[in-house]
Amino acid sequence: MTTMIHVENVAKEFTLHNQGGVRLPVFDNVDFTVAAGEALVLAGASGAGKSSLLRILYGNYRPTSGRIVITHAGRPVDIVSAVPRTVLDIRRRTLGFVSQFLRVIPRVSALDIVRDPLLARGVSPEEASERAKAMLARLNLPQRLWELAPATFSGGEQQRVNIARSFVDPSPIMLIDEPTASLDAGNRDVVVGLIAEAREQGSAIVGIFHDEAVRESVATRYLDITEFRKAA
Amino acid sequence: MNMQVNPQELTLDPAPLLSVAGVSRFYGERIGCADVSFDLWPGEVLGIVGESGSGKSTLLRCLAGIDRPDAGQVLFRGGAEPLDIYSVAEQERRRLMRTAWGIVHQNPRDGLRMDVSAGGNVGERLMDNGARHYRKIREAALDWLQRVEIAAGRIDDRPRQFSGGMQQRLQIARVLVSEPRLVFMDEPTGGLDVSVQARLLDLLRVLVRDLGLAAIIVTHDLAVARLLTDRLMVMKDGHVVEQGLTDQVLDDPHHAYTQLLTSAVLTV
Repeated sequence: MTTMIHVENVAKEFTLHNQGGVRLPVFDNVDFTVAAGEALVLAGASGAGKSSLLRILYGNYRPTSGRIVITHAGRPVDIVSAVPRTVLDIRRRTLGFVSQFLRVIPRVSALDIVRDPLLARGVSPEEASERAKAMLARLNLPQRLWELAPATFSGGEQQRVNIARSFVDPSPIMLIDEPTASLDAGNRDVVVGLIAEAREQGSAIVGIFHDEAVRESVATRYLDITEFRKAA
Repeated sequence: MNMQVNPQELTLDPAPLLSVAGVSRFYGERIGCADVSFDLWPGEVLGIVGESGSGKSTLLRCLAGIDRPDAGQVLFRGGAEPLDIYSVAEQERRRLMRTAWGIVHQNPRDGLRMDVSAGGNVGERLMDNGARHYRKIREAALDWLQRVEIAAGRIDDRPRQFSGGMQQRLQIARVLVSEPRLVFMDEPTGGLDVSVQARLLDLLRVLVRDLGLAAIIVTHDLAVARLLTDRLMVMKDGHVVEQGLTDQVLDDPHHAYTQLLTSAVLTV
């Protein structure tokens, strides 16, 4: 199997300069790899740094040391040392991040939010619309909402728009942070199905799932990050 | 694992559009901005943030060819040859600013001619660049007014009859009609109501993306930076204290000053 993520000696420590320079070590010496078609579930108690690790993989948080080699367009790229536009290109084509929160942009409709990643990858506007509509329907978002900007949607509706956007064209690597929190059982099953499909199509998945049933149906492998916990 | 990784190789367009090296400007003893260096590539949007007096507007004026820096170099690669904008004659710099660059001022009055019609304001830029066909100029002006959501019926009205938000949109049309490669914006949403800001921001976001513009945006508003920019430079007392991908800088700020800025906002 193709290695998609290679994490090498990653450590993270936050320094809070405005709170007396307090240093908060999170983890140290993190090493693992994830291959295409795998779903690695991060385990560990709340506060162990699961979300921080996921954000580091996305290039959102900067690790204190170490490197993260992403297979991007068939070539290895260290996302930690990559220049900003390379990171953006990696995110556009290789690396997707799914959270439970939608960043609402004024005046942009739900349909446009979901279409956007397809357009960015060069899909024709007609095909992008069709696929976006199919995905919103699959996630049971009422059709009357599709043309509206999600600012006024409920939390669960916004969440489903966000998931639709992420899975309308699954990336080769999908980083997933608690996607099913606050969804009802029916929609939760849809999300589990979407993750499984993405994985079967070859996506490498790294995720955090609070819900045990979801975790067990998604995971092909677990990583307990408590073992990297730095002795504070 | 010991493989070679070199992100620089991956890029399709190896030459930056703008290369800034060691730009400094002083006001007597006081530092305006000191030793600023960066590269900007086509299609990239760079934000410069910091509070008032941090030097961000001074820097923008140096970059945009308005104020000559006391030290440093600004190299623009818009044509066949890279151009050091402060080593060429004033006349050539002005031509560049008129054709390849655009500047959106915080106060629309600084960028518009208030006694010329809306259509005239937009058309004038095209005439500056050599357009002479009246009907085509008027068509282009009309098209741009609509793109910035100004009703066609207002084409013969003067900007002083417009609201602040409309004036700002008109200024943007005037700047973008000549299809610049690089746009400088100084607090483009400053002084507007929040609801008007949202409309303008969405408009800018779409235009920047659709036109593939490179842009440098000065703002003190981190939410504006988050929405519009790819990269961020944080300035304090004339120095760049932190820079990187916008979401990195805002979500995982390393410098004490950036931590202070991001924690002072209610929601970014």
